[in-house]
Amino acid sequence: MTVSAQLDKLDAESVSIEERSPFQIVFRRFVRHRLAMISMAVMLAIFIITILAPYITSFEVDELDVNKYFVPFGTVDEATGRIHYLGTDNIGRDYFSRLIYAGRISLTVALLSVFISETIGILVGSISGFYGSWVDAILMRFVEFMLTIPTLPLLLIISSMLLRNQELIPIPESVLTFVGKIMLLGPRDARNAVLIVIVLAGFGWLSSAQLMRGTVLSLREQTFVEASRSLGASNIWIIRKHMIPNAMAPIIVDASLGLAGYVVAEAALAFLGFGIQDPVPTWGNMLSATQTYMFDKPWLPLLPGIPIFVCSLAFNYIGDGLRDALDPRLKL
Amino acid sequence: MTAYLIRRVLQSILVVFISAIATYVLLSFAPGGPMAGLRQITQSGRFQITEEDIARIRASFELDLNLSIRFSRWLIGMPRGPVVIAGNEYFADVAVGCRKPIEAEVLNSRGEYEIKIVGCKETVYLKDLVGRRTSNGILRGDFGLSWRILRDRPVSDLIESRLAKTLQLIGLEVMLSLLIGIPLGIYSAVRQYSKFDYIFTTLAFMGSAMPSFFFGLLLILTFSIIPKGAGLPYIPAGLSESVRDYTIPMIGDVVAGSAKDRILHLILPVTVLTLINVAGWSRFIRASMLDVLRQDYVRTARAKGLREITVIMKHALRNALIPFVTIVVFTIPALFSGAIITESIFAWPGMGRLYILALGDYDYPVAMAIFFILAVLTVFATLLRDILYTIVDPRIRLN
Repeated sequence: MTVSAQLDKLDAESVSIEERSPFQIVFRRFVRHRLAMISMAVMLAIFIITILAPYITSFEVDELDVNKYFVPFGTVDEATGRIHYLGTDNIGRDYFSRLIYAGRISLTVALLSVFISETIGILVGSISGFYGSWVDAILMRFVEFMLTIPTLPLLLIISSMLLRNQELIPIPESVLTFVGKIMLLGPRDARNAVLIVIVLAGFGWLSSAQLMRGTVLSLREQTFVEASRSLGASNIWIIRKHMIPNAMAPIIVDASLGLAGYVVAEAALAFLGFGIQDPVPTWGNMLSATQTYMFDKPWLPLLPGIPIFVCSLAFNYIGDGLRDALDPRLKL
Repeated sequence: MTAYLIRRVLQSILVVFISAIATYVLLSFAPGGPMAGLRQITQSGRFQITEEDIARIRASFELDLNLSIRFSRWLIGMPRGPVVIAGNEYFADVAVGCRKPIEAEVLNSRGEYEIKIVGCKETVYLKDLVGRRTSNGILRGDFGLSWRILRDRPVSDLIESRLAKTLQLIGLEVMLSLLIGIPLGIYSAVRQYSKFDYIFTTLAFMGSAMPSFFFGLLLILTFSIIPKGAGLPYIPAGLSESVRDYTIPMIGDVVAGSAKDRILHLILPVTVLTLINVAGWSRFIRASMLDVLRQDYVRTARAKGLREITVIMKHALRNALIPFVTIVVFTIPALFSGAIITESIFAWPGMGRLYILALGDYDYPVAMAIFFILAVLTVFATLLRDILYTIVDPRIRLN
């Protein structure tokens, strides 16, 4: 067969590449990142399990079973016929139920912290980058100032202060009930969790703001912004319609990596004794509370440690995959 | 350059000053402190404590002074009495605090009763400060006295012994991280896409995601608890030296407090710190080497027939290290923060653990002193990093 005969067979349909929307392109690239896809599946499973917590677990979070400390895996509770799948902890609470509720609380804390810190970061960063001059100078000097203070020691001071003065900090009742509903906690315990979110997000927004500012600075000079302005668009309009949507790529990556950071940070605070306090379970404080039983019952501290590591790794991989998919140039 | 330097140094001093004020105020409003227990004792009625006793105790903790005066005495050790100029005393009758406050139960806005200070029976004047015990101020290296952990002993005594322990950990960590991290990063970059590179990047990624407290527990379990239970040689974990003599199978007897004992106790905490640090640093070296290896001058060096090792070590590595130097400088204060967690896992008697103890135990002079040291370290590391940037890379403009 000659070349021309081959060419005759080709039509436009088979030669041209199928047209794809930007979303499809990003999605296809993301799907190709195998580890990120596995991580997505793992996180999805963890989220579903924690959302269904009340239906999966058969014990209440703070249900004490006196005289049943440290029972082994799979012990059946004779009175009710329920099973302690992972045994009980040092004061007779069902470990499996607590682990799942803890996941719900730890992940909610991380999600809320990311949501708040990215929102503040986007607002401050875009205002700072877009308006420039003295607004930029004041905001960024403040951010730089905060970033030069050693974070962990300051976090510890602030959370220890907040936890001891819990009642003095005004938090709207509606916020407490809302957070309490997500975490399945009473408003009193929810206050503790909200305070930790405030502490974490209170520092987390700084780097997001710097990232957003950098992105906005480069976007501001683009021709489409000039075009928009020449059509009479206001500053607010430009920020809302051009700056924020176009800066979303790095922010999404930042948020995903941030989730990993917050899960670990919450656990670290709880581990050091300045996080969410005991009757409320979180992976961090379960690990910290059972640490002393390390020698004869090592599974007690290890079991809550595993999901912390898995979530941290998964969110990191997802962030990595998103970075590759959204902006291949950013790849190291 | 000089103008830039002066401005940056002034800025740094300002940052340290403001963060010192902020934390001092924060800790001053905290409940508890040395008076909390006393109030309970008085209420229980078991001991006879007169009003005068309480006033004296308050004075010994300087709680009878106004916040601003207390802060200034803490920071610079002033004022110590009336201002004396040419033999005349000035401002002697300025009120600086209250020796015996009047407390009363007051109905607050939420409809609850709480104890509030409503007045003052005995005012403290500036002239009363003469002859009082005071520190020279932290700016002159005097951190005052500990409230609880080592009651009435200078904070600097406490910190000195702990600081040495922390520096031991961090010094070893930095040395080992550089020795392991740099070659790993270079090799991985030179053999990009090889099996080694693939395994290395995966492990480094996991290492960066690994929370140190979990990693520490895993190490204690695998190298200390399990082998000890199985009668195999194990590595002791917890504290910096053993209390009693002990025997490790195959290694032999270890005398408590001997050099061997100390080295054995160093292994696990240093491993945790080093591995997590190596993960971050070597990833950075790899990225920065990959970047440099693509440059034209590396191709030129190869083209003129230099040996590959010379190209990598002399032409590529030197340039790849430029950004790395600044990263290392900037991580050093972060290492102190990282040590807080690791010291807590291994009960290592260092500064980080002391900080946690002090915060939990309401020993605020100790907590403040450590925070202040960390703040100074961080701020000046930031300054050093920015200066190094401009020295190693003249392309960066100062403005």
